Amino acid sequence: MSIIEAKDVKKWFGDFQALKGISMEIQEGEVLVVCGPSGSGKSTFIRCINRLEQHQEGSIIVDGIELTNDIKNIEAIRSEVGMVFQSFNLFPHLTVLQNITLAPTWVRKKSKSDSEQKAMELLERVGIPEQANKFPGQLSGGQQQRVAIARALAMEPKIMLFDEPTSALDPEMIKEVLDVMKELAKSGMTMIVVTHEMGFAKEVADRVMLFDDGLMVEENTPNEFFDNPKNDRTKLFLSQIL
Amino acid sequence: MVKLLSKIGAFFRNVVVLKWAVQFIFLGGLIAIIFNYLNIAVGNLANTNIAFSWGFLGETPGVSIAEGLYTLPKSGLQMLQTGMLNMLRITVTGIVAATFFGTILGIARLSNNYIVEKTATSLLEVVRNVPLLVQILFFQALILSLPRLEVYDVGSVLFHASSKGVALSWPNRQDGAWMFMLYFLITLYISNRVYKQRVKLLEEQGRETKPFLWSLLTLVILFAIGWYGGYRIVGIIGFVSGFISQGLEVLPGIFYQILLSVLAGYLSFISVRKQINSKRSGELQGKYSDDDYFKMIITIVIAIVFIALMFAPIGQGISKFLVGDELTFKSDWGLPQFFGGISNALDWSITGVPYELNMAEIEQVGTTKFKKYSTEVGKSLTVGYFATWLGVVIYTAIFISEIVRAGIMAVSKGQSEAGLSLGLRRSSLLRLIVLPQAVRIMLPPMGNQYLNLAKNTSLGIAVGFPEVVAVGQTLYNQEGQTLPVFLIWMIFFSTVSLTLSSIVNYYNRKLKIVER
Amino acid sequence: MMNIDIKKQTRVIKENLFSSPVSTLLTFITSYIMISFFRGMFGFATAPDKDWLSVLNNMQLYMVQAYPESDFIRIWICVGLGFIFSGLSVGLWETEEKTSLSKLCLTFSKIVSGIIFLTIIAPTTSVVVSTATGIREQVDVFSYAERIPLLSILLGLLVVFFLISKINLSFNKSLLVSIYLLVPIILLWIMKIPTIQLDADNQRVFPDPLMPIANSTKIPWTLIWISFVVAYLVGVYFKNKKQFKNAVSISWVLLPLLIFSWIFKKPLIDLNELIRNDIPVFIGFLLIGVLTIYFINNKIVEKFYSYYLGLLVVVTIASLFLKVILLVKAALLLLLLFSVIIPAVSTSAKGKRSLTIVWVVSLTTTAFLLEGGTSTTQIVVPGSSIFGGFSLTWLLAIFGTYVSFPLGVLLALGRNSSLPIIKGVCTGIIELVRSVPYITWLFFASVTMAVFLPDGVEFNLIVRVLIVTAFFSGAYFAENIRGGLQSIPKGQFEAADAIGMNTVQKTSLIVLPQALRAIVPTLVSSIITSFKDSSLVTIIGLFDFLTIGRMVIGNQSIPINFIGHDRENLLFIAFVYWVFTFTLSRRSMKFEKRLGLGER
Repeated sequence: MSIIEAKDVKKWFGDFQALKGISMEIQEGEVLVVCGPSGSGKSTFIRCINRLEQHQEGSIIVDGIELTNDIKNIEAIRSEVGMVFQSFNLFPHLTVLQNITLAPTWVRKKSKSDSEQKAMELLERVGIPEQANKFPGQLSGGQQQRVAIARALAMEPKIMLFDEPTSALDPEMIKEVLDVMKELAKSGMTMIVVTHEMGFAKEVADRVMLFDDGLMVEENTPNEFFDNPKNDRTKLFLSQIL
Repeated sequence: MVKLLSKIGAFFRNVVVLKWAVQFIFLGGLIAIIFNYLNIAVGNLANTNIAFSWGFLGETPGVSIAEGLYTLPKSGLQMLQTGMLNMLRITVTGIVAATFFGTILGIARLSNNYIVEKTATSLLEVVRNVPLLVQILFFQALILSLPRLEVYDVGSVLFHASSKGVALSWPNRQDGAWMFMLYFLITLYISNRVYKQRVKLLEEQGRETKPFLWSLLTLVILFAIGWYGGYRIVGIIGFVSGFISQGLEVLPGIFYQILLSVLAGYLSFISVRKQINSKRSGELQGKYSDDDYFKMIITIVIAIVFIALMFAPIGQGISKFLVGDELTFKSDWGLPQFFGGISNALDWSITGVPYELNMAEIEQVGTTKFKKYSTEVGKSLTVGYFATWLGVVIYTAIFISEIVRAGIMAVSKGQSEAGLSLGLRRSSLLRLIVLPQAVRIMLPPMGNQYLNLAKNTSLGIAVGFPEVVAVGQTLYNQEGQTLPVFLIWMIFFSTVSLTLSSIVNYYNRKLKIVER
Repeated sequence: MMNIDIKKQTRVIKENLFSSPVSTLLTFITSYIMISFFRGMFGFATAPDKDWLSVLNNMQLYMVQAYPESDFIRIWICVGLGFIFSGLSVGLWETEEKTSLSKLCLTFSKIVSGIIFLTIIAPTTSVVVSTATGIREQVDVFSYAERIPLLSILLGLLVVFFLISKINLSFNKSLLVSIYLLVPIILLWIMKIPTIQLDADNQRVFPDPLMPIANSTKIPWTLIWISFVVAYLVGVYFKNKKQFKNAVSISWVLLPLLIFSWIFKKPLIDLNELIRNDIPVFIGFLLIGVLTIYFINNKIVEKFYSYYLGLLVVVTIASLFLKVILLVKAALLLLLLFSVIIPAVSTSAKGKRSLTIVWVVSLTTTAFLLEGGTSTTQIVVPGSSIFGGFSLTWLLAIFGTYVSFPLGVLLALGRNSSLPIIKGVCTGIIELVRSVPYITWLFFASVTMAVFLPDGVEFNLIVRVLIVTAFFSGAYFAENIRGGLQSIPKGQFEAADAIGMNTVQKTSLIVLPQALRAIVPTLVSSIITSFKDSSLVTIIGLFDFLTIGRMVIGNQSIPINFIGHDRENLLFIAFVYWVFTFTLSRRSMKFEKRLGLGER
């Protein structure tokens, strides 16, 4: 059974139509890379999946729950979907540890000691346990993004969304974040990654999609996508980016 | 049954439903609280035999006002009108003066000169940290400790100060002053157009056209023509408004009610149509969010309430007011009177120079031993006016100086260097590069300071200056109508605030467009 | 060596004062204006027709108005507490800045040179103009003969400073604060001033020998100074204790409440009421809170907890509109606040224990303060209020801030909300309140508000003023806080949404902490504004500091004959306001800098 099912999703911002009918299915444990030029709707689409944006037509079903206006469904889906942002969005007034334990204690109502233990495990996993009591402002961009991944993982999500996680990083820091993401992918997490890191896509992705102008123009396995693209738009995109 | 229950549950978990439910509960609670207190107020007022009424506006209050338009007001409205004019007098002149001094102080604080900078800074630290009221009272005490006017001889003086106030030489308005003022505004506009025209020529043909010289020349010539009688051309406007005034007088009050209703209806129609039009084309057709619906409904509801009010007693009151019904409030407010006033002020049969420079004069009051400054020639400032004016001007100027300093400092040094490297002279640099950017930063906080100044004039009440709050207080002490007076204050100050902020916003927007 | 230094100095002077002809001209003009201003002020202040004595002799009125002398010990305790906590804070938070003796001497010699310069240029005579006749009269104010001893002392000091500056010694800068404070204390014991007495013919006479200045206050002040220094040392000792710091911070907030409800007020406690109503209510709420903390993990409790919370919300809101004693309302609010955080914190034994302590302490403090605040005072004063003069000014400033701050937060959140009706209403309230000057709101409090109060409900004028101040300052606070809210990036909200927080959690855990941190500087300036604005109550006839200054002359002119004008008193008032606002704003600037350092 597919874990995410989107059918003909449409979305307008005022007069501008950002999504013009996206349909897709994602299986559990699959890693999907979404790429495309800026303004093509790829970020908007994954933001629709956990209701940061509201789609106006079509349907999105996550793990058997349909995204409607029902607040119960929204809460249920948000606690199953973790998200990592381009600009990290760590809470600057809390320490790294507090950032990670915040949601488990307040939303999942776990005990503080349990969530702290879990947070330390996650920090070990992303490789920065020594930074636990620092403030986000004292960390480098790569470290901040890894904390953000740990924060999302602390809610024990079934699906992880990555919205251009490496775009705001210096080149030397991109690798450390990608390594964490690769490790995550190998552990069997369902992931949707919006990124321009084609190396990552080749190595990890099960499927690659290209968005353009609010439509999904190509969907393929990585090998096919890079070596043998079907669509002219894809060829153009690849020639620009590679 | 279970299905129905779960359906109801789902309905109440719907975010849209939740959103509106919360808001309507909030609104309902608020209206209930307001209604509750209004009820109490009505009951209390009935018990004290002072029913809420606007009648006092038409009654003669029987008190005199120290200075202003009507010193012996015939009605409450005239009294308030005097207070409002006094307040506006200080506000307008104060804004001009405070901007002037504030700019100088701000530049002084940026000066390289150590003494100048330190002097300005210490002035800032003193004025900013002392309550304005204390400053105003101190200025009053300072003036009051001067010798009495009675010890001086009668006669003309260039400048004089005594415990009665301050008097200066002043260009006094003559009959033609209003016409000349209007004429001068038109002159300014014309010379501005000349400047722009010349600049355009310069840009198109690439030759030196001396725009500044040309516009100055136009201004001087037109000014000279106007000063010696040319201003009478403005009399045309007066002539036309005389006709309008006569025409308006025959219209019944219901005309205004209908006019305002139609206006309100039209405005709400336009706004709703705009909302609909924005979603009419393309794929968006008919895709309204609940917020869109809410906005449309609110617009329509406001329009309906307004129209309903127009035909309720309050609307009749407004129309009577516009008609200028003398019997209601013994006032000359009203559209016919307004246009009549214009036609009187701009009468082309007036001759003579518009302004006359006079020395101040000390006069005997009748045959008594008391003396006063002449109100006819020169300019006499009462103690209250002087203390309030000085207080608010210095206080505001200090805050403006901070804004000016911050504004100029915010324009980065790189900007000036870029200008200099292009070969601009220092004067042009300031005019073309630094000031336009600095003003854009300065304008919004400056507008706030102007609003503060307008509000601070109300402190004049402490030194006996009859501005609108002081006059209002006298009025409700006479008549016991505290609530209506409070409402009038509120409406008046809101109007002033709105006017000031819309002027500032207008310039703000204009500068923003220039920036892009 | 010396030569180069002089060259450098001249260059600096040239650059700063005479860099261009315009600058030179400006230097001369400004210097001339400043010197004439000083000479004028000096002549004005020292001319014999100025009655500075009226300020000194009315000091008691200025500070506390009619507060009975028998209870002055209470006022000294209040002032003492303020100083003790200041000392603690200085000790705890001041950074270890070292300064050397030579540096200090340099500063002092600069100041002394300044005074020497001013002494030399001071005028010998001053012009006094008679108000009645307009005759101008030259009077001697500061003859050269008087100047010479002063100048020689100052020059001597300069030499002493020069000699001391050779000693190589450095010490902590914070210690200086206490030394600076010592100077006025010593002056209290040495300086003597004439206190006015009346003889049989109601003429002013000065007793001989002259009394030391403020004879009655020197002992308390000395004690206060000693406790300040002790507190400072305690603060330095506990510098690294975070809990101690937190305790002092919280005490700062509670201190004014304690002062005004218990120490200053001397409340009359009705024992019967206390035993019959307050103590049972207190114990009841205490038990409810403790029981909730301990049984929260029970399955059944957990199941019904959300219903319990809902019920609590309804009961709390209802209680606000019902006629129950204030303690119940406050305790309900507190309980509601606690009940929201109990499930998250009391998951471990340690969490439960600390939560219990916090609950007991906060409930006890609330009950204690309310008990004092709501009971009647034992102090009998002429007039309606035990607050008057400076104590009233502080009351208005501090409580104006206390009540307006929460309201401001609510209004700002409302105005920033995405719900159109709530946004509209909050915007309307803020703009309406701000569009009208404060004085009209004060009139509303003094004359119009009574109309809206139900029969039998009557508030003291001070309370009514505090109510309108809450709205007025609240609206201004709201605008500041809104600025803080807008400075939070949108990503923060999205991140909070993405980890599944609800609106309340988002607001209290993410948005407000960041917004409030962003507005600390404006917060202090709002408190300063509040302090300055409190002077406006003089217009509606409350006896604040300013009113006293305007009243003392009129009230005392008959026997003591303080003829003259309010100039002296107003200058004194202006000076006092200036000292407080200036110090506050400087402190806040320092604080702001420190915040900036610690944060990122």
